[in-house]
Amino acid sequence: MDDNELIEQILNGNSNAFTFLVNRYQKLVLHISGRLIQRQEELEDVCQEVFLKVYQNLGKYRKECKLSTWIATIAYNTGINHLRKFKKLDISDSDTQEIFLKTVDPDTIGYEQTDLHRYIRELIMLLPVQYRTVITLYHLEEFSYQEIEQITGMPEGTVKNYLFRAKALLKEKLKFVVDANSLKVVKEITNEK
Amino acid sequence: MKNEELDLIIENGLKVGPDFHLPVDFALKTSGKVGRSIQWKNDLLEYLSLTGLILALFIASVGMYYYIDKSLALRLLSIISQNPLFFILAFLLLNFILFADKVLLPLLFNKWNRVKIGDSKEYF
Repeated sequence: MDDNELIEQILNGNSNAFTFLVNRYQKLVLHISGRLIQRQEELEDVCQEVFLKVYQNLGKYRKECKLSTWIATIAYNTGINHLRKFKKLDISDSDTQEIFLKTVDPDTIGYEQTDLHRYIRELIMLLPVQYRTVITLYHLEEFSYQEIEQITGMPEGTVKNYLFRAKALLKEKLKFVVDANSLKVVKEITNEK
Repeated sequence: MKNEELDLIIENGLKVGPDFHLPVDFALKTSGKVGRSIQWKNDLLEYLSLTGLILALFIASVGMYYYIDKSLALRLLSIISQNPLFFILAFLLLNFILFADKVLLPLLFNKWNRVKIGDSKEYF
């Protein structure tokens, strides 16, 4: 069943179709909300809030963008509002690089050479919220720059800039912990996949 | 170590999702919650409409009697004005019964049902 049929079914009152929609997009919402909020105990409620908004506003969806983009926009706005509500949002971008480099100590994260991906995941969680968001949308959910612009309201140039800077920060950190041996392990893991 | 190799590690690492989970029955729970939220709004709307309708009918019938039998309507109004507390309490009681029937009991019944079924703690 494609998205248009699904929407039609939901608008006709088919609750199973809505369950199907939640199943289809829960990972997208989980990734966006998870990276924004970073608290497992609050995540289920926030994700439910996102889908409640999706249901309430489905009649207003005009198909100008993909359904996934539209749902991602709702998830992003809900996550940002949640952070604002609980005053956890730090939008300021000043001295981001220094703060990140100072606060992250690889030794304190319990880093293992065989688990670089986990380490990168930990590092991403320490990045500023805008960086985490664009990384998730671009690399994990594979949205285009234009779609990320639609979702977050950030200009395309800013999105590209954040992606570049986030990667540069991660690279800076990884340079010190990845040696020749672990690189070999990573290559093996990559080849296995 | 080469720069490109480090880039490859980062590219692969960025494709790994965050380590958060939702319950296995998240979709069912969410559609249930959405259904209940809509049901609750409908119930509340029905209760408010019924209350409005009853009040409107009462006012209309008093108004009608005022033209048909003025003395009877005035007598009725004087009875009410002489015992305001009694009529207010009676109205509130009847209104609460209606509220309980239309809004409160379905809401509690839904909650009770959910507790009885129990929330799954399994995660995928």
